[in-house]
Amino acid sequence: MSAGDVLKPFRIAHVSPEGMKAWAKFLHDPNPIHLDPAVVKAKGLGERVINQGPANLAYLINMLQAAIPGGFIESLEVRYVDNVFGGEAVEAGGTIREVVTSGAGERRLACDIWLRAEARPVLTGTATVAILN
Amino acid sequence: MSQPTPPLDLGEPPQVAGVSLSGKAPYVISAEENRALCESTGVSPAADGSAHPIYFYIATQVGMGMTVAGLCAACDFNVEDGPMMASSKVTFRKPLHTGQAYRVTGRIVSLVRKPSRKLGVMDMLEYLLELTLPDGTPVLSTTNVWVLPRRKPA
Repeated sequence: MSAGDVLKPFRIAHVSPEGMKAWAKFLHDPNPIHLDPAVVKAKGLGERVINQGPANLAYLINMLQAAIPGGFIESLEVRYVDNVFGGEAVEAGGTIREVVTSGAGERRLACDIWLRAEARPVLTGTATVAILN
Repeated sequence: MSQPTPPLDLGEPPQVAGVSLSGKAPYVISAEENRALCESTGVSPAADGSAHPIYFYIATQVGMGMTVAGLCAACDFNVEDGPMMASSKVTFRKPLHTGQAYRVTGRIVSLVRKPSRKLGVMDMLEYLLELTLPDGTPVLSTTNVWVLPRRKPA
């Protein structure tokens, strides 16, 4: 893998509202904007339930793990710039910005990463993935 | 000649920097929950017992010494008013594993009040959480920043 390489995208065809119910339990966070479209509407945030931010980040991690098999994610830094709504299609992707090889033959890939929902930016950030011999 | 706009009175946010977020009980990632989580994101769980890396967020949030509502309350903010995630940063020293007990320690780093064109006045809450093995071996360190909207523009 080389600087400039595009990472293979990871896609979810429809983000499931049922999945949001499961994530409310994983996170111990029953915020109704993830569960009840009426609450989302009352708050003026849209018409459909809103996916949890960490679930969006999980899609990005899935992309990194699939695109860089055997890699160990050493660091991640992301900004949450928009919401993903129930039923939307999401795509995670990125590019390799730099490859650093150490004396031990280890390689570290510095990546620019993103998540989009219906082509709208949702997450942007960077990651470092180590490939250890 | 136009008068200069008076500075917006933002008020002072609560002084919460340094408040402990250390958990009281160990957090264990269950293999069953990890499987359900992986499947909910469109992948299969790892066969070697490693957990999905997103547990960096879940383990620290669930295992810290406060609920989300409690953390908001410490900042004099009602969770019903809608905290928003602004950013997350994590550095892993080791992969996460199901069935392993982890300890969570942490603290509020800062709560800074700022004017916002969209939100009127907002507080930026930054907090640091660290995950270790029971013997203190570091596993990961994460910093999250949330936006706490205080009032809409007039």
